[in-house]
Amino acid sequence: MDIRILLLILVPLGTAFLIPFIDLINAKLRRFFVLLGILLESYLIISIIINNFQQLKNGEFFLQYYLGGWHPPLGITLAMDALSLVFAVITALSLFLIVIYSIGYIGHHEGKYYVLYFLIAAASMGAILTADMFNIYVFIEMLTITSGALIGFKRTQEASAAAIKYLIYNVLAGLLFFLGVLIIYFNLGTLNMADISQNFASLESGIQLFISAIFLTAILIKMGIFPFLFWLPKSYDTAPSPVTAVLSGVLSKVYIYIFIRIFWTVIGFETLEALNLNVLLLDLALLSSFFGHVFALQSNNIKRLLGYSSIGHIGMITAVIMLNTEAGFYGGLLHIISHMFMKAGLFVACGYLLQYTRSHAYRDFKGVGIRNRSVFIAFIALLLSMIGMPPLLGFASKWYVLMAFLEARSYFGAFIVIFGSLTAVIYYLRYIAKGFEEVKLTEDDLKEEIYSRPLLSVLYREKIVSFITYAYTAIIVGFGLGFRFFDLPLRMSIESLMNVERYIELVLGG
Amino acid sequence: MFNNLIFIILFMLGFYALIMKTNLIKNVIGLNLMEAAVFFWVIAFSDIGGEVAIHKMGEEVTKFNDPVPQALTLTGIVIGASTAALLLTLIIELNKFSGTIDRDQLEGLND
Repeated sequence: MDIRILLLILVPLGTAFLIPFIDLINAKLRRFFVLLGILLESYLIISIIINNFQQLKNGEFFLQYYLGGWHPPLGITLAMDALSLVFAVITALSLFLIVIYSIGYIGHHEGKYYVLYFLIAAASMGAILTADMFNIYVFIEMLTITSGALIGFKRTQEASAAAIKYLIYNVLAGLLFFLGVLIIYFNLGTLNMADISQNFASLESGIQLFISAIFLTAILIKMGIFPFLFWLPKSYDTAPSPVTAVLSGVLSKVYIYIFIRIFWTVIGFETLEALNLNVLLLDLALLSSFFGHVFALQSNNIKRLLGYSSIGHIGMITAVIMLNTEAGFYGGLLHIISHMFMKAGLFVACGYLLQYTRSHAYRDFKGVGIRNRSVFIAFIALLLSMIGMPPLLGFASKWYVLMAFLEARSYFGAFIVIFGSLTAVIYYLRYIAKGFEEVKLTEDDLKEEIYSRPLLSVLYREKIVSFITYAYTAIIVGFGLGFRFFDLPLRMSIESLMNVERYIELVLGG
Repeated sequence: MFNNLIFIILFMLGFYALIMKTNLIKNVIGLNLMEAAVFFWVIAFSDIGGEVAIHKMGEEVTKFNDPVPQALTLTGIVIGASTAALLLTLIIELNKFSGTIDRDQLEGLND
């Protein structure tokens, strides 16, 4: 029993509900409480790591909390093993950086924005920490509703259309997830993940196939894998930049975590293999990666291009995890971490650079690099990391992914990794070249720009926004040189992921 | 058997409205119809013809209906209502800008 696990969910939830009341009293206090909430969250995570450092080193790390004092399998359990800890840490770090960015970026309706933002923080922490199937459903739906509202946050025609499209796809996925959870309950009479995992093999293979297929469809829609990817680029394009950073940096990674949790811990990979679903899924993911990169080639809009590239990378991560080898998990998890920072950093940098342009289109990208050289150099560093240039973090993770594919003799997968890097060179270098093109501005243009970009007219906001961009670049460069730092946490999380019996024992027995 | 038949009919009706109709509000109705079908099926499936699961002192009832699916469905209904509300709000917003709620006439929804 460790109350800090519960507090990890309750602190952002409490902050979200506190902010409207703070607004009523004094709107200037709002930012103070936002910072307080996110700092408290970071403090909780850091204290969990420091207090349990010895167990972490020995590979015995496990914390849980019984809600209401009801022991499993009756009550709801929150459980944290090494895999959840790694995801919780990187999620909290991303949320921390993006909330500071938002203080500089979001100009109006700040109160509403922070409420939705902290609800996303609470829901993603909850989805990572819970050990109960229905709880995962509730947190997924929380993520869907809040992120749908944030996608429509700009209140333009395009934003509303994108949000409607996003919501229709994701509500359908949530409905399928609900049906899957209920079918599991009717067959096994329990909702605890460890308990389900213990008894899942005793079901008939027809029901096993049905449940696996339903969960697979639901999670593939949520992650944006090939047959269901059409909601993704549009919503990435129209959402405000910090929201896009959250969508690609936090939400898609939380869905990957749920995917791993359900298909390794709950259903079990042996079941998937027996049903022959793993080959299908591997091919779908690789196809998704291929189509993501091909669509990115023809895209003429920088944010939409990054969305398609996200599809490519998430497909690659899913494929390399589906190999079910240790090297595959190592590469996949490392690429999850590096993609999280690279993509969020790119959207953050885009939010700054697109202030200079009229639209997100390629032709308007002209001259952006000359207007603010230092941020554009950070942007280029992040792009090179996406391509996989050697001293940066993107190279390390792509190398491990490629090695995992070669080790498993999946040559199509290895081809996709190299194909992704090569196409990325083409579609990113285009933008870098365009950014350095000379542009002539008249007095009227400059005047119009000052009205259309309130962000840059206030000094401290510009400072914050560019500082976060540099911070992301520093993370990419720093960890690119020292990616061995991730060795211990990744090995621990792979160990706890592969050892399902230990997880069951700890959740049910503790 | 009868339950399953009604579930399939309702679900397919909702799916038809979601896919084939071009009016966005009808799409939302279709989505809600699918949700209603699932909820109906869950409640009907968990009903084994027993008592309500409230234990009274000094009274012995051996056959209860399982209350857990009912509780889960209640949560599902709340979530369905909030997503429907959010969708309808966004459709009203869209109507303000473009003056139409027809999916085919809207620019920017079909790319």
